[in-house]
Amino acid sequence: MKKIFVDYEKCVACKACETACAMENHPSHSLFGLLGDKKTQVNVRVLAVEHEAFPVSCRHCEPAWCMDACPSGAISRDSETGAVILNPDMCKACAMCAMVCPFDAISFKETHRARYGRDVAYKCDLCNDRVKNNELPACVAACHSGALSFREHDQLRRDQAVKNLRVYLLGEEKLPKNFELYRELRRKEFAQRSGEK
Amino acid sequence: MSELSRQRSADPAAVEMLNLAEKEQLETIWDRLEKQQPQCGYGQLGTCCRLCTMGPCRIDPMGEEPTHGVCGASADTIVARNLARMIAVGSSSHSDHGRSAALLLKAVASGENTDYRITDVEKLQAVATRLEVTTENRSYPEIASDIADIALSCFGKQDDTPMPFTEKYLLPKRYQLFKDIEEQLFKTTGKKMGILPRGIDREIVDILHRTHFGTDADPLSLMVQGIRSSIADGWGGSLIATELQDILYGTPTVNTAKANLGVLDAEWVNIIVHGHEPSLSEKVVEMALSEEMQQAARKLGAKGINIVGLCCTGNEMLMRQGVDMAGNVLHSELAIMTGAVEAMVVDVQCIYPSLANLSNCFHTKFITTSEQATIPEALHIQFEDEHADEIARRIVNTAIAAYPERDQGKVYIPNITSSAIAGFSVEEILKTLGGSVAPLIDVIAKGTIKGVVGIVGCNNVKVKQDLYHQELTKKLIERDILVIGTGCWAIGAAKAGLMNLDAQSLAGEGLKAVCQQLGIPPVLNMGSCVDCSRMLVLAGALAAHLDVDICDLPLVGSAPEWMTEKAVAIGTYFVSSGIPTHLWPAPPILGSPEVTKILTEDIKGLLGGYFFIEEGPQAAAQRMEEIILEKRAALGI
Repeated sequence: MKKIFVDYEKCVACKACETACAMENHPSHSLFGLLGDKKTQVNVRVLAVEHEAFPVSCRHCEPAWCMDACPSGAISRDSETGAVILNPDMCKACAMCAMVCPFDAISFKETHRARYGRDVAYKCDLCNDRVKNNELPACVAACHSGALSFREHDQLRRDQAVKNLRVYLLGEEKLPKNFELYRELRRKEFAQRSGEK
Repeated sequence: MSELSRQRSADPAAVEMLNLAEKEQLETIWDRLEKQQPQCGYGQLGTCCRLCTMGPCRIDPMGEEPTHGVCGASADTIVARNLARMIAVGSSSHSDHGRSAALLLKAVASGENTDYRITDVEKLQAVATRLEVTTENRSYPEIASDIADIALSCFGKQDDTPMPFTEKYLLPKRYQLFKDIEEQLFKTTGKKMGILPRGIDREIVDILHRTHFGTDADPLSLMVQGIRSSIADGWGGSLIATELQDILYGTPTVNTAKANLGVLDAEWVNIIVHGHEPSLSEKVVEMALSEEMQQAARKLGAKGINIVGLCCTGNEMLMRQGVDMAGNVLHSELAIMTGAVEAMVVDVQCIYPSLANLSNCFHTKFITTSEQATIPEALHIQFEDEHADEIARRIVNTAIAAYPERDQGKVYIPNITSSAIAGFSVEEILKTLGGSVAPLIDVIAKGTIKGVVGIVGCNNVKVKQDLYHQELTKKLIERDILVIGTGCWAIGAAKAGLMNLDAQSLAGEGLKAVCQQLGIPPVLNMGSCVDCSRMLVLAGALAAHLDVDICDLPLVGSAPEWMTEKAVAIGTYFVSSGIPTHLWPAPPILGSPEVTKILTEDIKGLLGGYFFIEEGPQAAAQRMEEIILEKRAALGI
């Protein structure tokens, strides 16, 4: 099964993933359609963890805590893609799923998929329809800096191992020099702000 | 609670106000910074291009795809274009300020405007001499009219010759160097690149043109034009602002005032002037201090009117009128939160739009005055030079009328001020030295003072307020390095008590002795950020006396808490004038290896100045001392 992998060192916090996710999940599928629309669903959030940025979304665990915890059977797994899918019609907004989620990737509000004007749980569905069409999830397709990828883990592991070995064995740069410098300055700026010298 | 406040500012008055803000749940600029986290790296790296609607385009910072924008622009091109535009905007802001001073001087000289007058005839004559305007048997208005015409021609002239202010004020050696570089660049690249500015408006419009879609893509020629625009600012627009304002309002002389929020007084009508152009604040101060207005305030139960400054307008008023200083730009929200401010009167630049809504939480009238800077939810009273007295009176009356609305229960003023000596124009420094730069050069040559560092504002909310300013300044004077400067740095130093005579004790033995002998602090306030031109003029005078170029002198520049595009223009004209210049935080250029290399390395060989980045005051002071020692060794002193 392919999963969304995050190479957080490459995340520059542009939030293109958030915008793409919002458009994908909005009935208009357009940036201008979602402007000012509070029902817009954004399933990925780039969070600041001190000086680092990390795009957080559902990890589609197997077994999934949320699925086990849901008393109304609103959460199920797509056997073809492995995506953990939430059915808003069956959701009772009890928040059991959110409480057990180790990544805090589940939110609540009245989305465009919610019926009867009530709050429901919502989360990343791995862009299940796109994936079945052999497309990338919207966030991954939108990522400019290569921080997000959608791959088989084994394939990713091999590529990364070779890349890291090139750093250790051949002394190659892991990241370009100026980008390392930018990361370092960002870290120092944060450290200063939080009172460290 | 106070732990967070202490992390945000090194100023104890700010810490008190931030505690209050937290308790009263008043949002501050620090809170908004947190809400903006994480901030986009493309913007920080300078590799986001929004110049046409085929974009926006972003370049992968890891050197992978996409390596070029839709049009084919590389990261180097995009960063260079963005930076050139920052310089153009910074140059515009200072220079438009200079333009309004020139237009006002012209109106005063022709008798059209009688609300202002020529105050400093000595300066008028000095500027006339510099510009080679005939003064013999001519009236002051005639001379002023010619000076104003020359200044205005610097903006609008269309021929290709260097503009007159730059030509007459720039050190001849540097002038020649610029000409030589123009030739050298043409010889080595075959491309025509100019350094000497032809006209202020022209160099700025040139940048807007060449950064338009599909025009200049060469990082070098983009940077050279950026340099040209910055010189049009430092040796043009800013210089015109300083010189002509000295003529109109008087050249600053040494005076003492208080700095920090404690200058606000709970029993008085408090008016804060904030912004940049003294044409407004001079008049507001004049009216506020008039007996008529003081009387009006007393009638409503106040003890009178207490007028104070903030940000660079504060510096203009401090330098020329000895008006007390409420704080630098990060104090602007905090001042309103004291609940004791009847009116904050603003014009242009560095005015947070948040001040309007914040003022509405209090009785404070937030008054915008400039047609170039109106803010939603503010009270706008249109200021016009030709009706300055009448409008200033209306502004002060508006403030007085707000006094009865004040909720005394909401008043909280930190009881913190420092005494600060200000007013160090070049003329005043020369007077202190006995009329010539020779004594200063002597002590530098002997090594009693190792060198001079010029520091300029701002405050940047990403840096703990004033910490870098204070620490760097202390570490430099400790090393017998004289510190001069302007803008929000100067206010930070004043608040920290570094500009009074007690600060002599923090200086190294050599600097201390010199300061004691001259009766000056080791840290000198030279004015508002537009007055960075005073530092250039001083550097030019030192170099001329020694018959060397500015880049040979043991001088370093610094902007340790900078945030604005004006600071980019200032930094670039410092570097272009031959002064190595320190920056923190880093400017948005790291996405381009080529531009980074040009500005931190290659430019040194051409102009003698270059940029360097240091994140901590200790390392920065160390590096500055090394540069100064290197320059001293080259001079053989």
